[in-house]
Amino acid sequence: MSAPSNYVCPYCAQKFEDNQALKSHVVTQHGKEPLPRPYGLIGLTVNGQHHEVKVEANTTLYELIHDQIGLTGAKMFCDRGACGSCTVIMDGRPILSCMTLAIECDGKSVETVEGIAQANHPLVETYVKHHAMQCGYCTPGFVVTAKALLDKNPDPSEDEIREALAGNLCRCGTYPQHPKAIAEAAMILQGGASHERG
Amino acid sequence: MKEADLDYEIEGQQFTAIGKRGIRRTDAFEKASGTAIYNADIKLPGMLYARALASPHPHARIIGMDTSKAESYPGVRAVLRCDDPEIKGKIVPGSYGAPWYVLPDYAAWEGEPVGVVVAGDTKQICDEALKLIHVDWEVFPFVIDEEDAVRRDDVKLVGEGQLDKERFEAANALNPYANVFSGVFRIAKGEHRYEKGDIEKGFKEADRILEFNGRRRWHTWAQPELPSAITRWNGGYPELWIKHQHVFEHKQAMSFWFDMPISRITTHAPYQGGMFGGWNWMNWSTVIHYITALLSRRLGGRPVKLLFNRRDDFYGGSMDIAVHTFKVGVKNDGTITAVAIKSIFSNGPKAPEPNMGIGHFLENTRIPNLLKENISGIVNKGPVNAVRCEQLTNTYCINTVFGHVANEMGLDATEVALKNDGYEGHDTDFLTNFKRRFGLPQRDSLKECIEAGKKAIGWDKKWHAPGAVKLPNGKMHGMAMVWTHEWNSKRGAGSAGLLIEPDGSVSLLGQRADVGVVAETAYCQIAADELGMRFEDVSLRQQKDTGFAMMTPDGSCNLCTNGYVVRRAARKAKQALLDFAANGYEEEGGPSSPPAFPGYKPGDLDIKESVIFVKKDPSIRKTVRDVVREVQCVQWWKHPQIYTYAWKQAGAWTDATGAAAKELVDYSQRPHLCRQAHFMEVEVDTETGKIDIVKVVNVNDVGKAINPDAVEGQQYGGAYMAASRAQTEELVWDLNTGVMLNGNLLDYKIATILDCGPIEPIIVETAMGYGPYGANGIGEDVADHMASLLGPAVHNALGVAIDDLPITPDKILKALGKI
Repeated sequence: MSAPSNYVCPYCAQKFEDNQALKSHVVTQHGKEPLPRPYGLIGLTVNGQHHEVKVEANTTLYELIHDQIGLTGAKMFCDRGACGSCTVIMDGRPILSCMTLAIECDGKSVETVEGIAQANHPLVETYVKHHAMQCGYCTPGFVVTAKALLDKNPDPSEDEIREALAGNLCRCGTYPQHPKAIAEAAMILQGGASHERG
Repeated sequence: MKEADLDYEIEGQQFTAIGKRGIRRTDAFEKASGTAIYNADIKLPGMLYARALASPHPHARIIGMDTSKAESYPGVRAVLRCDDPEIKGKIVPGSYGAPWYVLPDYAAWEGEPVGVVVAGDTKQICDEALKLIHVDWEVFPFVIDEEDAVRRDDVKLVGEGQLDKERFEAANALNPYANVFSGVFRIAKGEHRYEKGDIEKGFKEADRILEFNGRRRWHTWAQPELPSAITRWNGGYPELWIKHQHVFEHKQAMSFWFDMPISRITTHAPYQGGMFGGWNWMNWSTVIHYITALLSRRLGGRPVKLLFNRRDDFYGGSMDIAVHTFKVGVKNDGTITAVAIKSIFSNGPKAPEPNMGIGHFLENTRIPNLLKENISGIVNKGPVNAVRCEQLTNTYCINTVFGHVANEMGLDATEVALKNDGYEGHDTDFLTNFKRRFGLPQRDSLKECIEAGKKAIGWDKKWHAPGAVKLPNGKMHGMAMVWTHEWNSKRGAGSAGLLIEPDGSVSLLGQRADVGVVAETAYCQIAADELGMRFEDVSLRQQKDTGFAMMTPDGSCNLCTNGYVVRRAARKAKQALLDFAANGYEEEGGPSSPPAFPGYKPGDLDIKESVIFVKKDPSIRKTVRDVVREVQCVQWWKHPQIYTYAWKQAGAWTDATGAAAKELVDYSQRPHLCRQAHFMEVEVDTETGKIDIVKVVNVNDVGKAINPDAVEGQQYGGAYMAASRAQTEELVWDLNTGVMLNGNLLDYKIATILDCGPIEPIIVETAMGYGPYGANGIGEDVADHMASLLGPAVHNALGVAIDDLPITPDKILKALGKI
């Protein structure tokens, strides 16, 4: 019976005499990083910046973005996927960050309202111009949802805008202003009349 | 000079910012870009979290408690029990100065925060620790339905009757800021009766008697941002981050609770995610800062943030939750001779208003005979509050009565309105004389509002007898309208400072909770125009603790209080600035600075676009920046900064000459001069029971729209909230267990963008309001009135009345005999 080895390949159980040999084997035979990542360590890109963060199994993407990374634009309104206030764009799709586990977001790319504003997306200024907010708590969720809509559909009809926003709640009732703001942003993106700071 | 002397209206005053559309809101970029910070977002160094135990029983008392497992749970830093010697049985003034337990041992509804608060490293740790607490409960009988509550006498709440009266009288005796609301604790069962004229005589004079029942079921505020309270005990200088409409009240409370000078307390007022009154009426909404202060003090000054979850925020209702019985006497021409309403309220009405429900009849109509009988049924469901706003009962009753009269008599609702209104569709001689006497414009607001609304919705072409129009799409078509007076609220007090900074920019200093009504921008507009500054040169420092408390965003009256405050401060500042420009500053043996406009008197100068100029020769000019900067630099001041202060206690309505305030003994007798009219068009699917609100027109005479975009925001925003209240909003309890069943936003539905058709807001400006520039409030009117306009509209569509809000599809189908 051979002596137990401290250097066992985690992929094929082959034993090695030293750490260097094990590392070489993992890289050449399995095409992997030599050491598995610690449990809960994920890497994701948020607004173009890469983050390596440790999360718990039950950490939501909202908690990661809002509490750990400190981008507080995404908001917690309903706590269960009913209001759209926590919406972020992940790999091109608007998703509810309160209903998404952070640990499943390894390797993903996320865009938040702060990233949208930083990129000078015209939606921010058209929202300002059209008073498409009152208390403002739900507004970031609307802006993110609208941005995802315009990414997919650069010239949406009013009905398409209303349909896209149907999952976002606004208790102040600012709804009539959103289609106006989004339509104007769409026009600007398509090279229409530039908006002015009113 | 008296402050009130600054309230005069200036003949022919020209405005640049006031009334202008497209003004860039001061809060908008932060909100749209996600950089606006709310209390819910705040995380301080070393901050701990706290959660309160929620009662699992609708009516119970804690008789024993084992918290040892929670105390030893990893990450728990403190457990505060209701039997802690420092707080046991302690009652303190809470929100509005109303007394409340710091931490009660008794729960009057399922979900009431009670017994114990746990502080720990995370919210999850606190929640887990709460599960480890063993509580021995003494469980009492409970009642959920208000009519049951009136019938039964086996459910007796602590807080009813003499025992509580003694308690809150004792608390009030200690309370330095008791006010009209401080008698509100747990209201006892009670009856109120109000009668005007001779009700029986009125019924005898009628051609027809209409009798019907109505109901408004339990609904609530559902504010977007969840409540939270953060306190950091910095030695003797506590610091509070507040989610509440009443920021300054927290200083008063902390001072009283901990016997410390107000000057040592710092408050922060981050952006507020909605509120609509509701939460800040809960007595403990302030008291939670007592708990976090106590915990922070015990934990070496680590900041403590007490959190509520979404379900916690559903335990509180609106003051209009009630069952009503109506009896109306009406003549064939639509003249109403008598209205009698008997109401059984759920935990209300909170304010001791015996005419609650009949108020708008008194204020708007000439119906001679009125009777209102109110009974309070006490249920185990939590307190009821003013949820945008306390007038909901009044609006429900007037809308329902006038809807029935129009629909049952087959009369045009606008004609019924004018037939019964206090001014017969045009102003009476009394009002005409009143306006003339006090220098108000001779405008007939009611007529203007109704005509504008009729035209916008196409009333003359679309109105019809009930149940008479089936549309090509198979749905039934309905129309309804109602009118009312300007929104009341002559209450309010506030103060602010105005500082001209060394670069010529203007800082308005006054702390205030920004709940999103754009008032902060409006204050800057007023200051800019009164000073002659550019709008962008003026900023309001409302989130900072500057020591001044502006009027809170309550009761549709903040602009009509703070507007005066800002105007007064700006008028004083302009005078001070022109004095300085003309005369300079000189101190014997001390600093001095020469006048910027030598040889001129202050009266020779004026300011426009942030430039001071000679009126007779505007080419002689200097910017405000140059005037104040030339003579002032770091560590070497040659003159004092220009600074003014102003305050206002509302209630004393003033007018163009300032005379009315002196002559009217009872300001509440000031007649309503500005009116509102609302119109609704619906389509009802008789197969599915679904209602489509296809058009809404809101006509509001706001006197003067300081910020028209913001006024419209309150109109369409209110219409959406009303559509929500009317169609879906209802909290449901299990009658057997007393447990709330739908305390979440999946099952308690609020309106989405798809739930209301086009809304046309129309602004009428007659300049006859009680605020500055003749303005009056707008924040609550539409949300209140439109909700109960749906009943008359559906009645008109179907020919069948459904007076039970919310009007859900099942009620439609039941009324049509289909289920």
